[in-house]
Amino acid sequence: MTSAAKSYQRLVRQVAIALASIALLLWTVFPFLWILLTSLKSPADIISVPPSFVFTPTLDNYSALVVGEQRGQYSSTRPDFPRFFMNSLIVSLGAVALSVAAGIPAACALARFSFPGKNALAFVLLSFRFVPFIAFVIPLYILYQRLGLYNTHAGLILAYQLITLPFTVWMLRSFFMEIPLEIQEAAKIDGCSWLGVLGRVILPLSAPGISVTVILGFMFCWNAFNYPLMLAGRQTFPVTVGAIQFISYEQVLWGQMAAATIVAAVPQLLLSLMVQQYIVRGLTMGAVK
Amino acid sequence: MTSTRRRRGRRDRYLPYLLLAPALILLAGMLYPFGLGLYYSFTSYWLQYPNRFRFVWFDNYIDLLGEPLFLRALEFTLGFTLLAVLLQVGLGLAVALFLHARIPGRSAIRALMLMPLMIPPVITALMWKIMMASTNAGILNHLFSFVGVDPINWFGSTQGAIVSVLIIDTWGNLPFVALILLGGLQAIPTEPYEAARVDGAGPIAMLRYVTLPLLSPFIVLAVTFRAMDSLRIFDVIYATTAGGPNDATTNLQIMAYQYSFQWYQMGKGMAQAVVLLLLVVMVSYLLMRLWNRASESTQ
Amino acid sequence: MRAKSQWLLAQLCATFLLLGGYLDASAQDEQALAYYRQAKINWRQAEGQSLTIGLNKHPFTESLLPLIPEFRRLTGINVEYLILPENEYFTKLVADLSQQRGEFSVIMTGPMRNWQYVPPDWIIPLDDFLNNPKLTDRDWFKLEDFYPALIAANRWNGKTGGGVGEGPLYSIPVLEESYILAYRKDIFEQYNIKVPATIEEMAEAARLVKKNAGIAGIVARGTPTIGTVATGFISGLKGYTDGKWSELDDKLAANLHDARSVKYTEAWVGMVRESGPPNWANMQWYDAMEAFTAGQGGMIADADFFAANYEDPKKSKVAGKVGYALIPAGPDGSPHSGLWTWALGISKATKNKEAAWLFVQWATAQPTLLNATIGYRNYNPSRASISSDPRVHEVMAAWGGGSYLKTVAKNLETARVAWVPQPERTRLGDIWARALHEVYFQRMPAADALKKASGEVDKVLKEAGIK
Repeated sequence: MTSAAKSYQRLVRQVAIALASIALLLWTVFPFLWILLTSLKSPADIISVPPSFVFTPTLDNYSALVVGEQRGQYSSTRPDFPRFFMNSLIVSLGAVALSVAAGIPAACALARFSFPGKNALAFVLLSFRFVPFIAFVIPLYILYQRLGLYNTHAGLILAYQLITLPFTVWMLRSFFMEIPLEIQEAAKIDGCSWLGVLGRVILPLSAPGISVTVILGFMFCWNAFNYPLMLAGRQTFPVTVGAIQFISYEQVLWGQMAAATIVAAVPQLLLSLMVQQYIVRGLTMGAVK
Repeated sequence: MTSTRRRRGRRDRYLPYLLLAPALILLAGMLYPFGLGLYYSFTSYWLQYPNRFRFVWFDNYIDLLGEPLFLRALEFTLGFTLLAVLLQVGLGLAVALFLHARIPGRSAIRALMLMPLMIPPVITALMWKIMMASTNAGILNHLFSFVGVDPINWFGSTQGAIVSVLIIDTWGNLPFVALILLGGLQAIPTEPYEAARVDGAGPIAMLRYVTLPLLSPFIVLAVTFRAMDSLRIFDVIYATTAGGPNDATTNLQIMAYQYSFQWYQMGKGMAQAVVLLLLVVMVSYLLMRLWNRASESTQ
Repeated sequence: MRAKSQWLLAQLCATFLLLGGYLDASAQDEQALAYYRQAKINWRQAEGQSLTIGLNKHPFTESLLPLIPEFRRLTGINVEYLILPENEYFTKLVADLSQQRGEFSVIMTGPMRNWQYVPPDWIIPLDDFLNNPKLTDRDWFKLEDFYPALIAANRWNGKTGGGVGEGPLYSIPVLEESYILAYRKDIFEQYNIKVPATIEEMAEAARLVKKNAGIAGIVARGTPTIGTVATGFISGLKGYTDGKWSELDDKLAANLHDARSVKYTEAWVGMVRESGPPNWANMQWYDAMEAFTAGQGGMIADADFFAANYEDPKKSKVAGKVGYALIPAGPDGSPHSGLWTWALGISKATKNKEAAWLFVQWATAQPTLLNATIGYRNYNPSRASISSDPRVHEVMAAWGGGSYLKTVAKNLETARVAWVPQPERTRLGDIWARALHEVYFQRMPAADALKKASGEVDKVLKEAGIK
């Protein structure tokens, strides 16, 4: 093949890649952009037909979240949003921390040992994630009221285990199984107990995998809606329930809902940026091998 | 010497159970409310007629079979799951392969890929609803009009509604699949590829005989999670179509929600939830068997 | 020495300023509470108790929140509240009421909701509180200031199938909602379209708007839930049948398939299919309202107070271009609009019943409701004195060049709660709306769809033990 043809081929390939990248980016980011734009619009611009890209931006929606004043003719939110934000943080971090604490030993057991009932237990663990929330929620609500767990952070953290624990166990199990046996044997020969093996070999090597699991688990918790709707009260509502409060009886405050969404996405964005290096380096044991 | 080894042997036997204990205990507490829900499914329990509460054995379940909406919901649940999983895992694989290759800007793209996961499904659905919503005011149709495409009736027609829900669900969950598969791709060692190249395999053959088999545990993992979630999808449907139009997007979870939370007929609602659970358990059991086989073959 | 005395002086000044500020602030508070203190009751008789209020997200509730500290100063009662949009609110409310744990003491409810809450004894009548001179100063509270139709709507004797307007009063209304037709006066005038007086004329008008102005002739709610039938649709149907038809007959058998109902349904669904927006089947109340506000609809037959949005120059493209008329009735029918009031009620399970009543009395007192309307757009007022308050009257009189007030006044002469009292009204409405979808998507003709719906309703009522 001539070099001209080869470079033509390379050009086509590069253009194709560029187009694919743009398409992927557009598909992923456009709705987010639209939410951002909506959060900067005044009510008239939001419902205008045809929808406007050019408009005078306003920060009213954001200030309404924090300050909660009434501006102009449309009623605004009350400043509960900061509290909802804190609730989301507390409950999501707590739930993930608890899941990881309980999940690491469990994943270790499932990945490294073989024992009777292993597959059955693994399956049971997984199945908790998949129970339709309807089957749970009202009885759980009744139970929580009787136990005094209703409208508490602890209650929500416990309920969220349904969301994060099975996922954490299974993800960690997959990553633990990636670690070659030889390294573990080597550590054991060096005199480590299983706890030492865990601490010195398994955890450090699967740190990227743990990070990914933590991030995803955090996101699942952050985005939970149906459990906190029933199990929390105003003091413990997370941002998901808080965000729908913009649906009033005689209007919907889309701008403020959009602003709340943007603000609520910030912690997740920060978290994923912090752990970005692990994801970029690869959730991998390939480097080890 | 032998006694210590025997002691350690006994401890090792119970060790896995001990390690599993915290996780199991945490979740065991949930058995009670679920048991209660299960019990309710065998009763006629209307929240607002507490004095008419009575045990009805399997009546709720039998009535379900005769309920035409139930069969439609079942059909939609299964059909939607199939479509969603195929679409999301298929696209996810393509995206993962794309991001795995050495293309410029891939770390930036990978970082941005996470964004859809950061928005709660309820809000995602509402925001997409605004974008699709009224055929004239929706931004999507507005943009499409510039390239000469007729306005699409996103939510007002039965087919449009199903497609819309599929799109929103895919947008929200594609990153999840892509991440898992990307992680799996990067976990594959280089030796098999070297061996295949030596054997003269082209890229497609490598994909088929090296990548996919070695990736299979992760593919099955992604399929499992997406299938389980698609069977029970709720937030997106509820926030956009509420099961309509004309029951086109009603799945079992929506139906159970209607019976329990809108009409307060807890007995029937719980029965539907239990049927959905059975469905989920069956599918996940099959998928787990598949995962076991897949991960064994790659060890 | 001089520095020290300067510092002292500064301190004294600061103290006086602070004191003055404090006094001024509390003087302001006292002014705000002055009207309430006129009531000849001891506001502090439930001092130290706690209340949790369950509220629906609504302008009225928005108006209450800044005032809650005032209430605390007045009564010494601690108030916690929870606010959610309507659907989620009712889900949580019923969950709580059904468990009778008393999480919510004061709730937002309404006539049709009370039909669900009264049979299982979840809420308590308010008459005893009203008639107790220790708890209520009736001269001050002026129950008679409320529009009689609204108070009547919140009374029920508990008998399935009737009895609205008699019996105990279960909740105090905080707003009035009836259903009227809003139309684009500018478009109608430009193309010489007649303001419709019957459903057939309405369909014709919609057709003309769509043809000439290129926008949807009519916008309406369309989701497969009760909201779709509960506002303009049922009001038009009641008018069409001169108020003589009900969805359940006197034997509580479903009557959705009555010949007149079938004809009306065919006309209405036909109109929406022909001239309505393509995504009708997915339109929530706010979709319909916002479409009209954005100038995308020729007519809308829905809640009267949506006018506050239509006429808001800050976000409406049609402010000043809207005319208001009664919802078209039938050939010989007169309007029989439906009616809804949000109202405050008290849960039976609450431990602090007196505190709860004090709150209700305070929240529905004249100045509280007036503030809600003036400051927070709580329309339409439930008290006559508020409607005639010049500040309120001025705003409402401008809507539609005066046609709004005229239409609403006429509407209220015949507006009544449009449903037959029974606890499964929501279910019935949902079934009915889904029948409309069957007709809209032409899966079956109106007669069959409505007959099927009637059958379903009968089945539900039987299962629920109502029939």
